[in-house]
Amino acid sequence: MAATLLQTADWLFVIDNLGLLLGGTAVTIALTVASIFLGFVVGFPAGAIEVYGSERASRLVEQVGVVLRGTPLLVIIMILYFGLSVSSSAFVTATIALGLRSAAYQSQIFRGALQSVDDGQLEAARAVAMSRFEAIRHVVVPQALRRSVPGFQNEFTIVLKDTSIAIVIGIGELLTTGQNLYEGGQSTAALEIFLAVSLVYFVLTFATNRSLDRLSDYYAVPEGTT
Amino acid sequence: MTQPLLSIDDLHKSYGSEEVLEGVGLEMDQGDVTVLIGPSGSGKSTLLRCVNRLTEINSGQIALDGQDVTGANTDVNELRKQVGMVFQDFNLFAHLTALENVTLGPKKVLGMDAADAEEAGRTHLEQVGLLEQADSYPAELSGGQKQRVGIARALAMDPELLLFDEPTSALDPELVGEVVEVMRDLAAEGITMLVVSHEMDFARSAASDIVFLDDGEIVEHGPPEQLFQNPTAERTEQFLSRLHAHEETA
Repeated sequence: MAATLLQTADWLFVIDNLGLLLGGTAVTIALTVASIFLGFVVGFPAGAIEVYGSERASRLVEQVGVVLRGTPLLVIIMILYFGLSVSSSAFVTATIALGLRSAAYQSQIFRGALQSVDDGQLEAARAVAMSRFEAIRHVVVPQALRRSVPGFQNEFTIVLKDTSIAIVIGIGELLTTGQNLYEGGQSTAALEIFLAVSLVYFVLTFATNRSLDRLSDYYAVPEGTT
Repeated sequence: MTQPLLSIDDLHKSYGSEEVLEGVGLEMDQGDVTVLIGPSGSGKSTLLRCVNRLTEINSGQIALDGQDVTGANTDVNELRKQVGMVFQDFNLFAHLTALENVTLGPKKVLGMDAADAEEAGRTHLEQVGLLEQADSYPAELSGGQKQRVGIARALAMDPELLLFDEPTSALDPELVGEVVEVMRDLAAEGITMLVVSHEMDFARSAASDIVFLDDGEIVEHGPPEQLFQNPTAERTEQFLSRLHAHEETA
Protein backbone atom coordinates (compact mmCIF):
# COMPACT_ATOMS: atom_id res chain seq x y z
CA MET A 1 0.00 0.00 0.00
CA ALA A 2 2.79 2.38 0.90
CA ALA A 3 4.14 1.99 -2.58
CA THR A 4 0.79 2.90 -4.07
CA LEU A 5 0.75 6.15 -2.10
CA LEU A 6 4.05 7.15 -3.58
CA GLN A 7 2.98 6.84 -7.20
CA THR A 8 4.26 10.18 -8.42
CA ALA A 9 2.46 9.83 -11.71
CA ASP A 10 -0.87 9.38 -9.95
CA TRP A 11 -0.39 12.50 -7.85
CA LEU A 12 0.64 14.41 -10.97
CA PHE A 13 -2.60 13.19 -12.53
CA VAL A 14 -4.53 14.65 -9.58
CA ILE A 15 -2.64 17.93 -9.90
CA ASP A 16 -3.29 18.05 -13.63
CA ASN A 17 -7.00 17.68 -12.98
CA LEU A 18 -7.14 20.08 -10.06
CA GLY A 19 -9.24 22.45 -12.13
CA LEU A 20 -11.95 19.82 -12.53
CA LEU A 21 -11.86 18.95 -8.85
CA LEU A 22 -12.14 22.62 -7.95
CA GLY A 23 -15.15 22.86 -10.23
CA GLY A 24 -16.71 19.95 -8.33
CA THR A 25 -15.81 21.70 -5.08
CA ALA A 26 -17.67 24.80 -6.22
CA VAL A 27 -20.77 22.69 -6.89
CA THR A 28 -20.42 21.06 -3.46
CA ILE A 29 -20.19 24.46 -1.81
CA ALA A 30 -23.20 25.75 -3.73
CA LEU A 31 -25.23 22.67 -2.83
CA THR A 32 -24.23 22.97 0.83
CA VAL A 33 -25.02 26.67 1.07
CA ALA A 34 -28.38 26.27 -0.69
CA SER A 35 -29.34 23.27 1.46
CA ILE A 36 -28.27 24.85 4.76
CA PHE A 37 -30.15 28.01 3.78
CA LEU A 38 -33.31 26.08 2.95
CA GLY A 39 -32.84 24.09 6.15
CA PHE A 40 -32.61 27.30 8.17
CA VAL A 41 -35.53 29.03 6.49
CA VAL A 42 -37.75 26.02 7.12
CA GLY A 43 -36.12 24.63 10.27
CA PHE A 44 -36.05 27.79 12.36
CA PRO A 45 -39.79 28.50 12.10
CA ALA A 46 -40.44 24.78 12.57
CA GLY A 47 -38.48 24.80 15.83
CA ALA A 48 -40.29 27.97 16.93
CA ILE A 49 -43.66 26.39 16.17
CA GLU A 50 -42.73 23.35 18.23
CA VAL A 51 -42.04 25.64 21.19
CA TYR A 52 -44.59 28.44 20.76
CA GLY A 53 -47.17 27.14 18.32
CA SER A 54 -50.63 25.80 19.03
CA GLU A 55 -50.77 22.20 20.13
CA ARG A 56 -52.01 21.10 16.72
CA ALA A 57 -49.39 22.98 14.75
CA SER A 58 -46.56 21.84 16.95
CA ARG A 59 -47.68 18.21 16.79
CA LEU A 60 -47.87 18.38 12.99
CA VAL A 61 -44.39 19.86 12.72
CA GLU A 62 -43.04 17.30 15.12
CA GLN A 63 -44.52 14.40 13.16
CA VAL A 64 -43.15 15.63 9.84
CA GLY A 65 -39.77 15.98 11.54
CA VAL A 66 -39.89 12.45 12.88
CA VAL A 67 -40.57 11.07 9.39
CA LEU A 68 -37.81 13.14 7.77
CA ARG A 69 -35.27 12.26 10.43
CA GLY A 70 -36.24 8.61 10.19
CA THR A 71 -35.69 8.31 6.44
CA PRO A 72 -32.23 7.78 4.92
CA LEU A 73 -31.13 10.77 2.86
CA LEU A 74 -30.43 8.49 -0.10
CA VAL A 75 -34.04 7.34 0.00
CA ILE A 76 -35.34 10.92 0.25
CA ILE A 77 -33.31 11.92 -2.80
CA MET A 78 -34.49 8.94 -4.82
CA ILE A 79 -38.13 9.47 -3.90
CA LEU A 80 -37.94 13.14 -4.85
CA TYR A 81 -36.01 12.59 -8.10
CA PHE A 82 -37.20 9.27 -9.49
CA GLY A 83 -40.45 8.85 -7.59
CA LEU A 84 -42.03 12.29 -7.50
CA SER A 85 -39.84 14.04 -10.10
CA VAL A 86 -40.19 17.27 -8.15
CA SER A 87 -37.77 18.98 -10.50
CA SER A 88 -36.00 18.06 -13.71
CA SER A 89 -32.89 19.67 -12.24
CA ALA A 90 -30.83 17.25 -10.19
CA PHE A 91 -29.29 20.19 -8.34
CA VAL A 92 -32.68 21.57 -7.31
CA THR A 93 -33.86 18.12 -6.27
CA ALA A 94 -30.74 17.49 -4.19
CA THR A 95 -31.11 20.92 -2.57
CA ILE A 96 -34.70 20.16 -1.60
CA ALA A 97 -33.78 16.73 -0.23
CA LEU A 98 -30.76 17.95 1.74
CA GLY A 99 -32.59 21.12 2.77
CA LEU A 100 -35.67 19.37 4.12
CA ARG A 101 -33.64 16.76 5.93
CA SER A 102 -31.49 19.54 7.40
CA ALA A 103 -34.63 21.50 8.35
CA ALA A 104 -35.77 18.50 10.36
CA TYR A 105 -32.50 18.51 12.28
CA GLN A 106 -32.11 22.28 12.51
CA SER A 107 -35.61 22.55 13.96
CA GLN A 108 -34.42 20.43 16.89
CA ILE A 109 -31.32 22.59 17.37
CA PHE A 110 -33.46 25.73 17.54
CA ARG A 111 -36.21 24.11 19.59
CA GLY A 112 -33.67 23.16 22.25
CA ALA A 113 -32.05 26.59 22.16
CA LEU A 114 -35.39 28.41 22.46
CA GLN A 115 -36.44 26.18 25.35
CA SER A 116 -33.17 26.80 27.13
CA VAL A 117 -33.87 30.53 27.49
CA ASP A 118 -35.33 31.18 30.94
CA ASP A 119 -39.08 31.89 31.02
CA GLY A 120 -38.36 34.99 33.10
CA GLN A 121 -36.84 36.60 29.99
CA LEU A 122 -40.11 36.33 28.10
CA GLU A 123 -42.08 37.46 31.12
CA ALA A 124 -39.88 40.53 31.65
CA ALA A 125 -40.26 41.46 27.99
CA ARG A 126 -44.05 41.11 28.23
CA ALA A 127 -43.96 43.27 31.36
CA VAL A 128 -42.44 46.15 29.37
CA ALA A 129 -45.48 45.89 27.12
CA MET A 130 -44.01 43.93 24.25
CA SER A 131 -46.36 41.64 22.40
CA ARG A 132 -45.59 37.94 22.61
CA PHE A 133 -44.13 38.03 19.12
CA GLU A 134 -41.95 41.09 19.86
CA ALA A 135 -40.77 39.53 23.11
CA ILE A 136 -39.78 36.32 21.37
CA ARG A 137 -38.15 38.18 18.49
CA HIS A 138 -36.19 40.79 20.46
CA VAL A 139 -35.41 38.92 23.65
CA VAL A 140 -35.63 35.14 23.29
CA VAL A 141 -34.44 34.60 19.71
CA PRO A 142 -31.19 36.59 19.99
CA GLN A 143 -30.21 34.49 23.00
CA ALA A 144 -31.35 31.23 21.42
CA LEU A 145 -29.40 31.86 18.21
CA ARG A 146 -26.21 32.32 20.20
CA ARG A 147 -26.80 29.02 21.96
CA SER A 148 -27.52 27.17 18.74
CA VAL A 149 -24.08 27.72 17.18
CA PRO A 150 -22.47 24.46 18.38
CA GLY A 151 -25.39 22.38 17.15
CA PHE A 152 -25.41 24.31 13.92
CA GLN A 153 -21.71 23.62 13.38
CA ASN A 154 -22.44 19.92 13.59
CA GLU A 155 -25.32 20.18 11.20
CA PHE A 156 -23.23 22.14 8.72
CA THR A 157 -20.55 19.49 8.76
CA ILE A 158 -23.09 16.75 8.17
CA VAL A 159 -24.80 18.54 5.28
CA LEU A 160 -21.48 19.36 3.62
CA LYS A 161 -20.38 15.74 3.63
CA ASP A 162 -23.82 14.42 2.73
CA THR A 163 -23.86 16.46 -0.46
CA SER A 164 -21.73 13.58 -1.77
CA ILE A 165 -24.84 11.41 -1.77
CA ALA A 166 -26.08 13.55 -4.68
CA ILE A 167 -23.71 11.44 -6.77
CA VAL A 168 -26.60 9.01 -7.27
CA ILE A 169 -28.55 11.51 -9.35
CA GLY A 170 -25.51 12.59 -11.28
CA ILE A 171 -24.71 16.04 -10.01
CA GLY A 172 -21.17 17.15 -10.83
CA GLU A 173 -20.24 17.83 -7.22
CA LEU A 174 -16.88 17.04 -5.70
CA LEU A 175 -17.20 13.28 -5.24
CA THR A 176 -18.79 12.78 -8.67
CA THR A 177 -15.98 14.76 -10.26
CA GLY A 178 -13.42 12.56 -8.53
CA GLN A 179 -15.25 9.39 -9.48
CA ASN A 180 -15.46 10.46 -13.13
CA LEU A 181 -11.74 11.16 -13.21
CA TYR A 182 -10.86 7.73 -12.01
CA GLU A 183 -13.36 5.96 -14.23
CA GLY A 184 -12.08 7.96 -17.17
CA GLY A 185 -9.05 5.76 -17.64
CA GLN A 186 -6.27 6.47 -15.11
CA SER A 187 -7.63 3.83 -12.74
CA THR A 188 -4.40 3.53 -10.76
CA ALA A 189 -5.01 7.03 -9.37
CA ALA A 190 -8.14 6.02 -7.45
CA LEU A 191 -6.57 6.28 -4.00
CA GLU A 192 -4.89 9.60 -4.76
CA ILE A 193 -8.10 11.05 -6.17
CA PHE A 194 -10.23 10.05 -3.22
CA LEU A 195 -7.60 11.23 -0.76
CA ALA A 196 -7.56 14.60 -2.50
CA VAL A 197 -11.37 14.70 -2.38
CA SER A 198 -11.32 13.87 1.34
CA LEU A 199 -8.81 16.62 1.95
CA VAL A 200 -11.09 19.15 0.28
CA TYR A 201 -14.04 18.07 2.46
CA PHE A 202 -11.84 18.34 5.51
CA VAL A 203 -10.55 21.79 4.65
CA LEU A 204 -14.08 23.07 3.98
CA THR A 205 -15.41 21.63 7.23
CA PHE A 206 -12.51 22.89 9.27
CA ALA A 207 -12.57 26.38 7.78
CA THR A 208 -16.31 26.76 8.26
CA ASN A 209 -16.24 25.54 11.83
CA ARG A 210 -13.48 27.98 12.63
CA SER A 211 -15.42 30.81 11.00
CA LEU A 212 -18.51 29.95 13.02
CA ASP A 213 -16.35 29.91 16.16
CA ARG A 214 -15.21 33.41 15.31
CA LEU A 215 -18.77 34.55 14.66
CA SER A 216 -19.86 33.03 17.96
CA ASP A 217 -17.03 34.78 19.84
CA TYR A 218 -17.87 38.06 18.19
CA TYR A 219 -21.49 37.95 19.33
CA ALA A 220 -20.77 36.31 22.68
CA VAL A 221 -22.12 38.00 25.79
CA PRO A 222 -20.92 37.28 29.31
CA GLU A 223 -22.73 34.28 30.77
CA GLY A 224 -24.24 34.08 34.22
CA THR A 225 -27.40 34.89 36.07
CA THR A 226 -29.52 37.77 34.90
CA MET B 1 -58.76 62.85 44.09
CA THR B 2 -62.01 61.73 42.50
CA GLN B 3 -61.09 58.16 41.71
CA PRO B 4 -58.29 55.97 42.97
CA LEU B 5 -55.42 55.18 40.61
CA LEU B 6 -55.78 51.48 41.27
CA SER B 7 -58.83 49.78 42.58
CA ILE B 8 -59.18 46.07 43.14
CA ASP B 9 -62.49 44.59 44.13
CA ASP B 10 -63.49 41.09 45.20
CA LEU B 11 -60.59 39.47 43.37
CA HIS B 12 -60.60 35.70 43.16
CA LYS B 13 -57.86 33.52 41.75
CA SER B 14 -57.47 29.75 41.86
CA TYR B 15 -54.91 27.37 40.56
CA GLY B 16 -56.90 24.22 39.99
CA SER B 17 -58.80 23.57 43.19
CA GLU B 18 -56.37 25.69 45.21
CA GLU B 19 -57.87 29.12 45.85
CA VAL B 20 -55.00 31.60 46.17
CA LEU B 21 -56.96 34.84 46.39
CA GLU B 22 -60.34 34.72 48.08
CA GLY B 23 -62.01 38.04 47.44
CA VAL B 24 -59.32 40.69 47.81
CA GLY B 25 -60.11 44.41 47.69
CA LEU B 26 -57.59 47.23 47.65
CA GLU B 27 -57.39 50.86 46.59
CA MET B 28 -54.38 53.03 45.89
CA ASP B 29 -54.24 56.74 45.15
CA GLN B 30 -51.60 58.38 43.09
CA GLY B 31 -48.36 58.65 45.07
CA ASP B 32 -49.28 55.87 47.49
CA VAL B 33 -46.66 53.35 48.44
CA THR B 34 -48.45 50.19 49.51
CA VAL B 35 -46.43 47.30 50.91
CA LEU B 36 -47.93 43.82 50.86
CA ILE B 37 -46.70 41.54 53.61
CA GLY B 38 -47.76 38.07 54.58
CA PRO B 39 -46.54 34.51 54.92
CA SER B 40 -45.22 32.65 51.93
CA GLY B 41 -48.08 31.24 49.92
CA SER B 42 -50.48 33.92 51.12
CA GLY B 43 -51.09 35.19 47.56
CA LYS B 44 -49.03 38.40 47.62
CA SER B 45 -47.16 37.80 44.38
CA THR B 46 -50.25 36.47 42.67
CA LEU B 47 -52.13 39.64 43.59
CA LEU B 48 -49.32 41.74 42.19
CA ARG B 49 -49.16 39.76 38.95
CA CYS B 50 -52.90 40.09 38.42
CA VAL B 51 -52.49 43.88 38.23
CA ASN B 52 -50.42 43.71 35.01
CA ARG B 53 -52.08 40.49 33.90
CA LEU B 54 -49.04 38.28 33.97
CA THR B 55 -51.59 36.19 35.83
CA GLU B 56 -55.24 36.13 34.76
CA ILE B 57 -57.92 36.39 37.41
CA ASN B 58 -60.95 34.15 37.83
CA SER B 59 -63.38 36.83 38.98
CA GLY B 60 -63.54 40.31 40.42
CA GLN B 61 -62.57 43.74 39.15
CA ILE B 62 -59.34 45.61 38.73
CA ALA B 63 -59.36 49.16 37.42
CA LEU B 64 -56.42 51.41 36.67
CA ASP B 65 -57.30 55.07 36.34
CA GLY B 66 -60.90 54.02 35.99
CA GLN B 67 -60.10 51.73 33.07
CA ASP B 68 -61.03 48.08 33.30
CA VAL B 69 -57.86 45.99 33.51
CA THR B 70 -59.15 42.46 33.19
CA GLY B 71 -61.85 42.81 30.52
CA ALA B 72 -61.69 40.79 27.33
CA ASN B 73 -61.44 43.99 25.29
CA THR B 74 -58.59 45.47 27.31
CA ASP B 75 -55.39 45.78 25.33
CA VAL B 76 -52.94 44.11 27.66
CA ASN B 77 -49.94 45.83 26.08
CA GLU B 78 -51.53 49.25 26.52
CA LEU B 79 -52.13 48.34 30.16
CA ARG B 80 -48.52 47.27 30.65
CA LYS B 81 -47.24 50.58 29.33
CA GLN B 82 -48.86 52.07 32.44
CA VAL B 83 -47.67 49.43 34.88
CA GLY B 84 -43.97 48.69 35.34
CA MET B 85 -42.69 45.61 37.10
CA VAL B 86 -39.56 44.72 39.02
CA PHE B 87 -38.92 41.01 39.48
CA GLN B 88 -37.49 39.01 42.32
CA ASP B 89 -35.01 37.30 39.98
CA PHE B 90 -34.26 40.52 38.08
CA ASN B 91 -34.86 38.91 34.66
CA LEU B 92 -32.61 41.39 32.91
CA PHE B 93 -32.27 40.69 29.20
CA ALA B 94 -29.09 38.62 29.22
CA HIS B 95 -27.84 39.56 25.76
CA LEU B 96 -28.16 43.30 26.27
CA THR B 97 -26.08 45.82 28.19
CA ALA B 98 -27.55 47.70 31.13
CA LEU B 99 -28.35 50.66 28.88
CA GLU B 100 -29.86 48.44 26.19
CA ASN B 101 -31.99 46.74 28.84
CA VAL B 102 -33.39 50.12 29.76
CA THR B 103 -33.92 51.37 26.20
CA LEU B 104 -35.42 48.25 24.61
CA GLY B 105 -38.98 48.95 25.76
CA PRO B 106 -38.96 52.64 24.84
CA LYS B 107 -37.50 51.86 21.41
CA LYS B 108 -39.60 48.84 20.47
CA VAL B 109 -42.82 49.62 22.30
CA LEU B 110 -43.01 53.40 22.64
CA GLY B 111 -41.37 53.97 19.27
CA MET B 112 -38.73 56.36 20.58
CA ASP B 113 -35.78 56.92 18.29
CA ALA B 114 -32.49 55.44 19.43
CA ALA B 115 -30.81 58.70 20.42
CA ASP B 116 -33.72 59.91 22.56
CA ALA B 117 -34.13 56.51 24.17
CA GLU B 118 -30.43 56.41 25.04
CA GLU B 119 -30.45 59.86 26.52
CA ALA B 120 -33.48 59.03 28.63
CA GLY B 121 -31.96 55.64 29.48
CA ARG B 122 -28.79 57.26 30.80
CA THR B 123 -30.90 59.55 32.95
CA HIS B 124 -32.69 56.55 34.43
CA LEU B 125 -29.43 54.70 35.02
CA GLU B 126 -28.10 57.79 36.74
CA GLN B 127 -31.22 57.87 38.87
CA VAL B 128 -30.35 54.40 40.20
CA GLY B 129 -26.66 55.27 40.45
CA LEU B 130 -25.44 53.06 37.62
CA LEU B 131 -24.46 55.40 34.82
CA GLU B 132 -20.93 54.02 34.89
CA GLN B 133 -22.22 50.49 34.31
CA ALA B 134 -24.24 51.48 31.23
CA ASP B 135 -22.21 49.23 28.95
CA SER B 136 -21.93 46.26 31.29
CA TYR B 137 -23.83 43.07 30.64
CA PRO B 138 -26.10 41.65 33.36
CA ALA B 139 -23.67 38.82 34.12
CA GLU B 140 -21.02 41.42 34.93
CA LEU B 141 -23.17 43.15 37.56
CA SER B 142 -23.73 42.34 41.22
CA GLY B 143 -27.21 41.35 42.36
CA GLY B 144 -27.90 44.80 43.76
CA GLN B 145 -26.76 46.44 40.55
CA LYS B 146 -28.91 44.08 38.48
CA GLN B 147 -31.96 44.95 40.50
CA ARG B 148 -31.25 48.65 40.14
CA VAL B 149 -31.05 48.17 36.35
CA GLY B 150 -34.35 46.31 36.66
CA ILE B 151 -35.84 49.35 38.35
CA ALA B 152 -34.40 51.70 35.71
CA ARG B 153 -35.86 49.47 32.99
CA ALA B 154 -39.31 49.76 34.55
CA LEU B 155 -38.96 53.52 35.06
CA ALA B 156 -37.96 54.04 31.43
CA MET B 157 -41.49 53.24 30.32
CA ASP B 158 -42.71 56.12 32.49
CA PRO B 159 -45.46 54.03 34.09
CA GLU B 160 -48.20 55.30 36.37
CA LEU B 161 -47.71 52.44 38.77
CA LEU B 162 -44.66 50.36 39.64
CA LEU B 163 -45.01 46.80 40.90
CA PHE B 164 -42.19 45.26 42.94
CA ASP B 165 -42.26 41.50 43.42
CA GLU B 166 -39.96 40.77 46.35
CA PRO B 167 -37.23 42.95 44.87
CA THR B 168 -34.65 42.20 47.55
CA SER B 169 -35.28 38.55 48.42
CA ALA B 170 -32.76 37.17 45.92
CA LEU B 171 -30.03 39.49 47.16
CA ASP B 172 -27.17 38.88 49.53
CA PRO B 173 -27.92 40.79 52.75
CA GLU B 174 -25.19 43.37 52.19
CA LEU B 175 -26.70 44.32 48.81
CA VAL B 176 -30.24 44.92 50.06
CA GLY B 177 -29.50 48.44 51.25
CA GLU B 178 -28.60 49.91 47.86
CA VAL B 179 -31.85 48.67 46.33
CA VAL B 180 -33.97 49.83 49.27
CA GLU B 181 -32.33 53.23 49.04
CA VAL B 182 -33.32 53.58 45.37
CA MET B 183 -36.87 52.49 46.18
CA ARG B 184 -37.06 54.99 48.99
CA ASP B 185 -35.95 57.76 46.60
CA LEU B 186 -38.69 56.78 44.18
CA ALA B 187 -41.27 56.82 46.95
CA ALA B 188 -40.09 60.28 47.96
CA GLU B 189 -40.50 61.45 44.37
CA GLY B 190 -44.15 60.51 44.56
CA ILE B 191 -44.05 57.44 42.33
CA THR B 192 -46.95 55.12 43.02
CA MET B 193 -45.62 51.76 44.14
CA LEU B 194 -47.19 48.44 45.05
CA VAL B 195 -44.49 46.40 46.75
CA VAL B 196 -44.38 42.82 47.92
CA SER B 197 -41.57 42.81 50.44
CA HIS B 198 -40.60 41.91 53.95
CA GLU B 199 -38.03 44.67 54.05
CA MET B 200 -39.30 46.23 57.27
CA ASP B 201 -36.84 49.05 56.99
CA PHE B 202 -38.44 50.12 53.71
CA ALA B 203 -41.96 49.45 54.93
CA ARG B 204 -41.51 51.60 58.02
CA SER B 205 -39.75 54.48 56.33
CA ALA B 206 -41.41 54.73 52.93
CA ALA B 207 -44.79 53.02 52.94
CA SER B 208 -48.01 54.95 53.13
CA ASP B 209 -49.96 51.73 53.67
CA ILE B 210 -49.24 48.23 54.83
CA VAL B 211 -51.48 45.37 53.77
CA PHE B 212 -51.25 42.07 55.60
CA LEU B 213 -52.37 39.18 53.46
CA ASP B 214 -52.88 35.67 54.78
CA ASP B 215 -54.52 32.65 53.16
CA GLY B 216 -55.71 34.69 50.20
CA GLU B 217 -57.45 37.35 52.28
CA ILE B 218 -56.55 40.80 53.43
CA VAL B 219 -56.43 40.46 57.19
CA GLU B 220 -55.41 43.98 57.99
CA HIS B 221 -54.75 47.21 56.16
CA GLY B 222 -53.45 50.45 57.61
CA PRO B 223 -50.66 52.98 57.86
CA PRO B 224 -47.34 51.45 58.95
CA GLU B 225 -47.21 52.96 62.43
CA GLN B 226 -50.66 51.61 63.26
CA LEU B 227 -50.20 48.18 61.71
CA PHE B 228 -46.74 47.63 63.15
CA GLN B 229 -47.37 49.13 66.62
CA ASN B 230 -50.97 48.18 67.22
CA PRO B 231 -52.11 45.41 64.96
CA THR B 232 -55.76 44.64 65.57
CA ALA B 233 -55.81 41.10 64.28
CA GLU B 234 -54.14 38.28 66.13
CA ARG B 235 -52.81 36.77 62.91
CA THR B 236 -51.04 40.03 62.08
CA GLU B 237 -49.47 40.15 65.50
CA GLN B 238 -48.22 36.58 65.24
CA PHE B 239 -46.79 37.15 61.79
CA LEU B 240 -45.02 40.35 62.84
CA SER B 241 -43.49 38.76 65.90
CA ARG B 242 -42.16 35.89 63.77
CA LEU B 243 -40.74 38.44 61.36
CA HIS B 244 -39.07 40.38 64.18
CA ALA B 245 -37.60 37.21 65.61
CA HIS B 246 -36.22 36.38 62.18
CA GLU B 247 -34.80 39.88 61.69
CA GLU B 248 -32.99 39.70 65.02
CA THR B 249 -31.41 36.35 64.26
CA ALA B 250 -30.57 37.28 60.67
